[in-house]
Amino acid sequence: MAAVTILDPTDERIPLERQIVARTADVKGVVGLLDISKPRGNVLLDELEYLLGAKLPGVELRRYRKPTFAKPCPDDLRATIKAECDYVVEALAD
Amino acid sequence: MHDVVWFEIQGLPAVCIASSEFDTAADAQRTALGMKSAQYVLVDHPIQDATDEEMRNKARVVADAVVAALTSQPAGPSSGSG
Amino acid sequence: MTPPHTAFARQDTDGRMHGFPSGRPSLVCFIKEDCKTCNLVAPLLEAFQKAFADQADILIVGQSGAGNEVFRKRHALTVPVLDDGDCAVSYVWNFEVVPAVFWTDGAGRPLAHFEGFVREEWHDLAKKMSVVLGRGCDGIVWSDYPEWRPGCGSKHLDPDVNDRLKANAEDSPIRARRIDIGSSDDVSEFMYDQGFSDGLPLVPPTPERVMRMLTGTRRNPQEVVADVPPNMGPATIEKIAINAVMAGCKPEYLPVVIAAVEAICTDAFNIHGVTATTMGASPILVVSGPIRHKIGMNMKLGALGADNRANATIGRALRLVVRNVGGAKPNGVDRSTLGSPSKFTMCFAEWEEGSPWEPLHVERGFEEMDSVVTVFAMTSGPVQIVDQESRKPDEVAGSLGLGLEGVMLSKIHKMPTDALLVVCPEHVKTLTSEGPYPKARLRRRIQEVTERPLSDMVAGLTSGAGLPRSLASKMSIDQLGAPTSKFADDQYIHIVVAGSEAGKFSACFHGWVTGPTGSVAVSRKIETY
Repeated sequence: MAAVTILDPTDERIPLERQIVARTADVKGVVGLLDISKPRGNVLLDELEYLLGAKLPGVELRRYRKPTFAKPCPDDLRATIKAECDYVVEALAD
Repeated sequence: MHDVVWFEIQGLPAVCIASSEFDTAADAQRTALGMKSAQYVLVDHPIQDATDEEMRNKARVVADAVVAALTSQPAGPSSGSG
Repeated sequence: MTPPHTAFARQDTDGRMHGFPSGRPSLVCFIKEDCKTCNLVAPLLEAFQKAFADQADILIVGQSGAGNEVFRKRHALTVPVLDDGDCAVSYVWNFEVVPAVFWTDGAGRPLAHFEGFVREEWHDLAKKMSVVLGRGCDGIVWSDYPEWRPGCGSKHLDPDVNDRLKANAEDSPIRARRIDIGSSDDVSEFMYDQGFSDGLPLVPPTPERVMRMLTGTRRNPQEVVADVPPNMGPATIEKIAINAVMAGCKPEYLPVVIAAVEAICTDAFNIHGVTATTMGASPILVVSGPIRHKIGMNMKLGALGADNRANATIGRALRLVVRNVGGAKPNGVDRSTLGSPSKFTMCFAEWEEGSPWEPLHVERGFEEMDSVVTVFAMTSGPVQIVDQESRKPDEVAGSLGLGLEGVMLSKIHKMPTDALLVVCPEHVKTLTSEGPYPKARLRRRIQEVTERPLSDMVAGLTSGAGLPRSLASKMSIDQLGAPTSKFADDQYIHIVVAGSEAGKFSACFHGWVTGPTGSVAVSRKIETY
């Protein structure tokens, strides 16, 4: 879709670019590890899962896998991850 | 970066691990998606030719950066060195 | 000494950059690929190129994007064809017709200019160039050319193109922050995610659309019309225009929206209180005067419903200004328990022509030929008042009173609350069937039929609302028996006429708290041209 410019309808006191969601200082809850299915990514993710397990005790780690790296994550997988996780780590894009 | 941006809009801190070859593309993608602060962490190329031990080493190098991307508001993408 | 033409640097169809001025005498010709006259003169320009290119710069500036290369190939041109697809250079050089020819000295100062094709002008130019550059120009058989041929309108004057150029020009009246939506982002989702929307889709307020909206007013776009509560954000004409675009307004509706913003930001109307109340109040807009017809407002069939763009979008634009400029959002300042659809929009026009009374704005002190918007803070409505039987004036007036009795809660009387009664044409007919029935008489009749003894208002087993028993127990029999009308003052009953001529259904809107602690109806004159 073509790029569009719009004018700000507000009183402009806050920035209006999309911002990443606010973080907390600690990781709590469930971290989803999403394998985008490019070859070798699983080796990195296996090791990362082990390392995060050690660094973040008490945090649950769950693995997911996209059917193909060529497209964004399918809607139902996104919905599942959103429902089950509090953070997402996606790997490995090259 | 499409997935990362989607998860952020849904309220989940997210980060993408990418090879260093992907740096420009990742930055262009997040700009095109309108979320310039979306997070990604770089590992050294090559990927396909790396041995398993080399891959595991890449994970060790970026593990801290991954945690940092999920817990602080850094200014730009973080990179593992080595 | 005339100033030089504005400098530019543009790529030709081979990607090579050419600058103006170049230090050498220059011939610049603006063209469109699909303009027949531009195609007519192409061989002339090529002949000039062949004759003069070692001493002068012959430049064709093409407005046709990819069409430039088509043009070049079609005429086997060696003249560079530069890209002005966005018409930015054309806009600044400011001509009307293509082909537009400019002959300048090395510093870019104008020596000759003409547009279209008048053979004598082109021939004279060729002679002039020969004299200045000291050589002839061969290969043109002038008699092969018509004496004249009209050119085509320059692309930079196409309304869409022109609006965009104006909006982006350095002296543009636009000052609002520009937000670039990422090319893979969705502008509609972005606007939702940023909280601009009332829940329904918005029209993206591009600079061109806002420029077009601003043609609806003569006021300075940077004029601050009001500071909008709760955040006291300054509503400039431009900000109002941006929200009006999002709402779907036409430029001719803008003056109404501006007047409505002025009206609600008065202390008397108290938009902060109106927005914040848990009772869920909203401004209801009633438009009066000649502008109703000029902009095609609905005052008859379905006037309080959907389907009329002016009604729908003017009311909506006002809500968006309150939301986006004032910062009033549900769960922020807006704490309505339930709210109402009026939070989307509620705006209609009075059917003055069908009214037996003076129009609302005249009643409120304006001239008949003034266009006026009146804002009322209402918590609910429209509530239908159904009377298909009454044949006598006092009977139908009585029904209207009974219909109004439900404001707040039917047993609650003498509250400082107001109501807006919309009398339908059939009820008007019945009211006036035996002669004039002035508004004052209608108000009195409403108060008369809603008289109940004060004791009806006391909290009881049926309803715990009303006068607390502890207070009632201190009152005398006479006090408790006192006939108490619905409204604390006749003047709290506002009356207008609207609706189709078939159907015996009037309607009313229920007010909030009127007076200094609440909100008072306010009227503002609408600028008209």
